[in-house]
Amino acid sequence: MRKNGVSYAKWGYIFSIPFFVVFLVFSLYPIIYTAVIGFTDLQGAGRSSFSFLDKPFDNYRIILANASFLQAMKNTPIIWIAGFIPQILLALLLAAWFTSRRFKIHGQAAFKVLIYMPNIITAATIAFLFRNLFGYPKSPVNDLAMMLGIIDSPFYFWLSAWWSRGIISFIQFWMWYGNTMIVLIAGVLGIDPTLFDAAEIDGASSPQIFFRITLPSLRTILLYTLVTSLIGGLQLFDVPLLFNLGGPDQKTLTTSVFIYNQAFSGRYFYNRASAASMIMFLIIMVCSSILFYIMRDKDQAKLNHERRLERRLERKRRRATAKGVDA
Amino acid sequence: MKKQKSLKARTRVVKTVIYIVCIFLSLLSIMPFYTMFINATRGTYEIQSNSISLIPSTYLISNWKVLINKNFNPAIGFMNSMIIAVGATVLSVYFSSLTAYGLVAYQWKWRQPFFTFIMAVLMIPTQLSIIGFFQFMYKLGLTNKYLPLIVPAAASPAMVFFMRQYLLATLSLDIVNSARIDGAGEIRTFNTIILPIMKPAVATQAIFAFVGSWNNLFTPLVLLTDRKKYTMPIMVNLLRGDIYRTEYGSVYLALSLTVLPLFIIYFILSRHIIGGVALGALKE
Amino acid sequence: MKKRMLLLAIVLLVAGAMVFAQGQTDAKTAKGSKVINLWSFTDEVPKMMDRYKELHPEFDYDVKVTIIATTDGAYQPALDQALLAGGADAPDLYTAESAFVLKYTQGDMADYAATYKELGIDVDKLLKEAAIAQYTVDIGSNGRGLVGLGYQATGGAFIYRRSLAKQVWGTDDPKVVQAKIGPGWDKFLAAAADLKKKGIAIVSGDGDVWHAVEGASDKGWLVDDKLYIDPDREAFLDISKTLKDKGYHNDTQDWTDAWYADMKGIGPQPVFGFFGPAWLINYVMAGNSGGTKIGEGTYGDWAVCEPPAGFFWGGTWLLSNKNSKVKDAVGDFIEWVTLDSSNTGLQYYWANGTLFGEGGTKDVVASGTVMAKSDGRLDFLGGQNMFDAFIPAGEFATGRNKTQYDESINNIWRGQVREYTAGNKSRAQAIQDFKQQVFDNLGIEF
Repeated sequence: MRKNGVSYAKWGYIFSIPFFVVFLVFSLYPIIYTAVIGFTDLQGAGRSSFSFLDKPFDNYRIILANASFLQAMKNTPIIWIAGFIPQILLALLLAAWFTSRRFKIHGQAAFKVLIYMPNIITAATIAFLFRNLFGYPKSPVNDLAMMLGIIDSPFYFWLSAWWSRGIISFIQFWMWYGNTMIVLIAGVLGIDPTLFDAAEIDGASSPQIFFRITLPSLRTILLYTLVTSLIGGLQLFDVPLLFNLGGPDQKTLTTSVFIYNQAFSGRYFYNRASAASMIMFLIIMVCSSILFYIMRDKDQAKLNHERRLERRLERKRRRATAKGVDA
Repeated sequence: MKKQKSLKARTRVVKTVIYIVCIFLSLLSIMPFYTMFINATRGTYEIQSNSISLIPSTYLISNWKVLINKNFNPAIGFMNSMIIAVGATVLSVYFSSLTAYGLVAYQWKWRQPFFTFIMAVLMIPTQLSIIGFFQFMYKLGLTNKYLPLIVPAAASPAMVFFMRQYLLATLSLDIVNSARIDGAGEIRTFNTIILPIMKPAVATQAIFAFVGSWNNLFTPLVLLTDRKKYTMPIMVNLLRGDIYRTEYGSVYLALSLTVLPLFIIYFILSRHIIGGVALGALKE
Repeated sequence: MKKRMLLLAIVLLVAGAMVFAQGQTDAKTAKGSKVINLWSFTDEVPKMMDRYKELHPEFDYDVKVTIIATTDGAYQPALDQALLAGGADAPDLYTAESAFVLKYTQGDMADYAATYKELGIDVDKLLKEAAIAQYTVDIGSNGRGLVGLGYQATGGAFIYRRSLAKQVWGTDDPKVVQAKIGPGWDKFLAAAADLKKKGIAIVSGDGDVWHAVEGASDKGWLVDDKLYIDPDREAFLDISKTLKDKGYHNDTQDWTDAWYADMKGIGPQPVFGFFGPAWLINYVMAGNSGGTKIGEGTYGDWAVCEPPAGFFWGGTWLLSNKNSKVKDAVGDFIEWVTLDSSNTGLQYYWANGTLFGEGGTKDVVASGTVMAKSDGRLDFLGGQNMFDAFIPAGEFATGRNKTQYDESINNIWRGQVREYTAGNKSRAQAIQDFKQQVFDNLGIEF
């Protein structure tokens, strides 16, 4: 690595500094600040000075006893999972089809463009649009269903907890499966083609190839998809807010909407909202860590360990030879 | 022989299924927008008596007039969203590539710990620190400024991860070394040689970043109160609340206008996005 | 080549938007350096401001207008933050609606309001001269003095379709209809049964009835800082349930598409009437009647009579920021709108519908002096003088049953009532959940 006696190692640090500094200032500091506010009496419009509570965990106690927050904690994973499972399955299926060598799909590019399209549209617009599409008593969906004879009288979608959740999950699914598909296709194209060649020569069927080769090779990408979707899904905000303000009866209230309502409307409970944020924060961190642990590359970890040992030995050897030269 | 034939037949069946599914999904993507665009040309009365129609009507101009009278100005929202989204995209793409390059091309002591650190902060749900973020910006007097909506993008762990995967697969250190022999500095090497190599990954990530920033409602809603600085999603959010806006045709028109610019950009860029993905194969 | 096309397209798009955006802002901030920031939840006050500037050319201020609608409570958080943030963009003049005005006059945000005296207004003399309805003064005053006033009197009436009244009861005389639908909700429901026999819904949705119930109740949501459910408001659960179960309404939500459609008479059942103050007629129903002169749509087929229970609904109060740098100018405008009872004051124009020329919409205003010299006949009501019904209705207007969290609490209450009437939960459960959600969101104990 050393040429002309110049060390390039410092550039590794230099190139990482902007990321690091911005992260410290705009992410880490606000997180710590939020955590601190959770232990204070900071509430009420316009306040920014605060003092610590005598009982530091009072806000946490209040939030954990808050029925609306608990409801939100239940809704959020339901809505996320109901959207994510079909999203990942369909994305996998489409990725398999579009990269398959056996079915050369014509018009792939056009399909991909259309399938990805919902993802580029402002979620707020989509939520608002769907609210109108599923209106009561008159709306496109109600009219269509009545025209086709599926229902006799208009259905009050906004008043049904499961329909409302379902529609929000569907919006999430519909907006994101194209994105997931694109990421997965990128992953599949990165798999060593000789693996497929070998499998084909061995006479493996498409499903076999998919489950034995494609899927295992996609582990890192799947992990990435799972973690980012988990983080995004558990912070879901704009769709439920615009679809029905978390209604009916708080059945689509997500934790982010709850936190927003607590902190930025009504009585401005910054402190309680901070406590709620920190609880969610911990939950998401724990879930992602578990995902990381489950999906970690065991072979890779072992390999890394061995490599590290090797490198240490190498260094020792070099030091020994250097000494030898000196001497 | 027989086996081959049945295989072929099966392939044909499966292929048909694939086409049906793809066409269905494409229609599913188009339908809501089609309804929206059509209703934007229809009168309130028409929409109230029959909310779906396949043919456009003649009320586009009157809907537009209603909209303008109601203080809805999509051009301002578009401009503001554009400034923020472009700023955030450029920063995130550039600095993520830079960080990823630093992680791949150099041997430095803290390299592995730093990558682990990035993977760890990837898990941080940033939205949940909004209260601290708001209070912090409020104290600095940065509410109603674009800075807090743009600069944080320079630290995008997910994108660093993606860029690193890409570089691991494509970067050959020989290129870097020959550049060094030619006497190019490290930063220049990165700007003139490495970035072009990363173009496919940059294209894909740029569109993701742009879309993410453009669609963000949460942070701008908290930070921006000046109407002249409102972004597109905030405008849509307000549209929902306007009780006096009884003209439904114009509501659909307003929604269409929030979508239209993105549609245009998307369809012009789509070839690059999809192409970028094809080239941007990720090495495990 | 393609790349160039792409670049060109993007540049054109951005440039076009810039030019457009520029043109829009230029129009408003072209001249002068003195700026008034005006925040409101409808375009009503901004339009008054435009007219004021036309009538007073010497008033050399640029007005930057921010309008945010209130339905989902979006206006309040935005206004609060703008007031808190201060600086050059802070509102100088802002408006508040009756559902949350107390927050800005007496509640959490009251400290930001300047008193009218600080604005240079001779309050005591003008209040007497104009004979302003006492409730708007009560709502607008706090320990420091008067900080906000409205320009309307928003006592409510029942607004019904003449043709449907004739069809069912053989006459459209307000006196007869009034005796059929009230007083009291029992008579109202009996009338609903009469109408139902002819396939007519008495109201569009339960929201119409709610505004009357809310405004008629003795006490508000808070008594001694605890949540209190007035018996009248609790009874709304049963009224609403009956209306829904028997199909007495079209089950719309107010301020939605279907609600407006019922004003045109194109809903599933024809709708007999709406509850509301004069502003509902002028600003909502007239525009949604499907016509602009008698005979078109439902225009001209309406009349007003006294409601089953006296109530008031809505109203806009004008306030000024005590940190404003343009207090005198804001004071001049506020005086013109709220306290000038002369024939060139806003309220005279407003009552007679002449603010923007002859033949505009008429309204009931806060000044008794102005009302005494105004004429309330409306084509929309088939020539009826609406003041006959609305002036007596004004005596029901009161600030007693208002609280600063009404908007939030009403949203929660209406949601629970809908849950109950839809059969999703029991009556007791709905009340229980209502209390719980108010506590969860606002920290108000029950």
